[in-house]
Amino acid sequence: MASGGGGSNPLPYRPYRLLRTLAAHDRAVSCVKFSSDGTLLASASLDKTLIVWSSQTLTLKSRLVGHSGGISDLAWSSDSHYICSASDDLTLRIWDAQSAECVKTLRGHTDLVFCVNFNPQSNLIVSGSFDETVKIWDAKTGRPLHTIAAHSMPVTSVHFNRDGSLIVSGSHDGSCKIWASDTGALLKTLIEVNGPAISFAKFSPNGKYILVATLDDTLKLWNYSTGKSLKIYTGHVNKVYCIASAFSVTYGKYIVSGSEDNCVYVWDLQGKNPLQKLEGHTDTVISVSCHPNENKIASAGLDGDRTVRIWVQDT
Amino acid sequence: MNAPIIDPLQGDFPEVIEEYLEHGVMKCIAFNRRGTLLAAGCADGSCIIWDFETRGIAKELHDKDCVAAITSVCWSKDGHCILVSAADKSLTLWDVVSGEKITRTTLQQTPLQARLHPGSAKSLCLACPLSSAPMIVDLNTGSTTVLPVSVSDTGAGLPPPSRNKFSDGSPPFTPTAACFNKYGDLVYVGNSKGEILIVDHKNKQVRAVVPISGGSVIKNIVFSRNGQYLLTNSNDRTIRIYENLLPLKDGLKVLDELSTSCDEVDEAEKLKAVGSKCLALFREFQDSITKIHWKVPCFSGDGEWVVGGSASKGEHKIYIWDRAGHLVKILEGPKEALIDLAWHPVHPIVVSVSLTGLVYIWAKDYTENWSAFAPDFKELEENEEYIEREDEFDLMPETEKVKDTDVNEDDEVDIMTVENESVFSDSDMSQEELCFLPAVPCPDVPEQQDKCVGSTSKLTDSNHSGSPLSEEAGQNGQAMNHASSPVEEDTGGTRLKRKRKPSEKGMELQAEKVRKPLKTMKSSGKISKIKNKPVLEQDTDSYVFADDVTDEYH
Repeated sequence: MASGGGGSNPLPYRPYRLLRTLAAHDRAVSCVKFSSDGTLLASASLDKTLIVWSSQTLTLKSRLVGHSGGISDLAWSSDSHYICSASDDLTLRIWDAQSAECVKTLRGHTDLVFCVNFNPQSNLIVSGSFDETVKIWDAKTGRPLHTIAAHSMPVTSVHFNRDGSLIVSGSHDGSCKIWASDTGALLKTLIEVNGPAISFAKFSPNGKYILVATLDDTLKLWNYSTGKSLKIYTGHVNKVYCIASAFSVTYGKYIVSGSEDNCVYVWDLQGKNPLQKLEGHTDTVISVSCHPNENKIASAGLDGDRTVRIWVQDT
Repeated sequence: MNAPIIDPLQGDFPEVIEEYLEHGVMKCIAFNRRGTLLAAGCADGSCIIWDFETRGIAKELHDKDCVAAITSVCWSKDGHCILVSAADKSLTLWDVVSGEKITRTTLQQTPLQARLHPGSAKSLCLACPLSSAPMIVDLNTGSTTVLPVSVSDTGAGLPPPSRNKFSDGSPPFTPTAACFNKYGDLVYVGNSKGEILIVDHKNKQVRAVVPISGGSVIKNIVFSRNGQYLLTNSNDRTIRIYENLLPLKDGLKVLDELSTSCDEVDEAEKLKAVGSKCLALFREFQDSITKIHWKVPCFSGDGEWVVGGSASKGEHKIYIWDRAGHLVKILEGPKEALIDLAWHPVHPIVVSVSLTGLVYIWAKDYTENWSAFAPDFKELEENEEYIEREDEFDLMPETEKVKDTDVNEDDEVDIMTVENESVFSDSDMSQEELCFLPAVPCPDVPEQQDKCVGSTSKLTDSNHSGSPLSEEAGQNGQAMNHASSPVEEDTGGTRLKRKRKPSEKGMELQAEKVRKPLKTMKSSGKISKIKNKPVLEQDTDSYVFADDVTDEYH
């Protein structure tokens, strides 16, 4: 167990262990996310379907079929009723999670749609695509409100902040940009000269910091208003894939991320070296999600694995 | 909001028309407390709630009993209810989330303005009828309490409609204006003699009088959001700003103290003396050149700006002053009279309603922030001389510039604490404030091609819309078979365009149909707005066609 940095968690670290392995996809699982209320878990796959699981019983509830291309990302609305998925078939779809039906299809991107997120009010959807644009959609009508020519390379990650006023977008061009969500105006650019491609970016729960993953095996926590990076997390492998990470705040403060060495890594927020490596997947762990209320982590593996694994803390 | 890179209040004012909203004929508007929803009362008696972020309709409040034009709309402080006054003399209280009527009262006269009491009870409201004294209405019981509008009324409380004159024989009634102060313990009434009366509405007593010089009829009286400033609009074409000297809470207690400590014997003089300690004239605004009458003046959300509309018919002019009295901007819209105006509680956005029933949204002209493009870009006001260091251009092989580890691992980082927004810190509500209405995605019309295997949308009239569509499918066989990406091709676009027609019969598309196309307005600055936006794609163009989705396919 590596030591953390100066300020340590008041709670001693309790390791996670594998609870269940869920195998139901025919191809690589690209994304896994708990719903905002924690009752459901959704997983998206390159087999063009999404699966909704009950997070309590870990049984399959429904399969959402309809995309004609693999799905790269999904997002839950704040009331846990709707899921929005981003697919290689250039569209996004909004699904009703209860009835498992596709309610809406959002068209407009000209290349595969890679990342998607709802705003906290869930009246807006932001999507990033290989066509290098970020689009903001009206969730109710499906109308694209803004199209932002955001980057010069594929947009790998988009996320709203806590009150929905800002959007952070990360791209393979190595820059992380912050946009005002009401006008689409550029507010800030975070870029390192000759820096590595950014594979993932998201706001911290309080919206003050951005967690940025780069394809040089590094995760950094930036204070975007000062433009300085505050924390750096290493030890994992990330050179190729856009691996999603998450904040774990239900028991102590941790950073959780997947890795290309088939493990899930957990760091203390204040620290640098990993606290635990969760082994079990047989291919790159591409996505992780932390349950909003319980100490549970879900992780997804690529083609060599095709499973969703649930990890809980030892009691 | 995140203060570091967006200033929540921005301290600026709008410049150009950004968009307009269209749905029926709207008559009056009101923002909710946070400015996320805009309620608009229509000429047909319904009330539309717009989601201000998406500029789409979030809810429609219809009542088959009320088909008369809405005269005013008012939100409750927690955003859960809306009070609507209509031309059929009724006041209706609606619950926003459910869209259901809570209660309805009918008055003796049409209320021109109705304001809910700022407290949490939501049962009392202040109604200003067409031609009688303002009254407090209890929405649950329907009882009305008429407020005194003149010093001679003190303690009288006679019923209004039969009286046309003051007891001292002054000319017949003209509408008086009234408003609650910030916490609703006092009502400030502006009467036709040019006096501001501070009334204790529980006891129906006038506690202080502030006469305005010139004594002309007061048409509007409004408090700023923080309760520090009071604005009056008089018939002498002047808008006056007063500073509120009373404390925000416990105003009554202070009034009592002032009253007892006042030496005046004559009641009227006493009230004036007390009044002079309650309000202090701060500024006067008028247009000395055109001498126009003002309409619907109000404060900006932070009270830094005052905005007033021109009451002249045939022009849509909005004047913006800073509180110090300088005219900073005149916004000029299309030649339609202005009937209502509201400043967004937080953003530098002004919304105005024109006589034609359209709602115009005025916002800042977009200018590119160049320092946003790279972390070390800094915008300079003027050229700066740069003096290089002695060794700036020397080659120094060994002393590599030490890269500052900008990572200080010892500092603790807090990712959870949220700072309270100072803008809304005056919230003392127990119930959760309603900021947004849930956005339920409207189901798509079922598509013809087999793209969506196994997924059908829940449109109730999907069968209905199926038949006309298949006819058109037959005609344009090749268009329909474009099952591949709905990109570029015009045929693909046309296909979708045609699909709109049958789906217009769907009920949810009533909202879509009337959501705003963005016409190119002739107002100043709009053209430059387009030129200054290199980064953003021209979404403005794509909205020229109301329901067309084609332009998104570039």
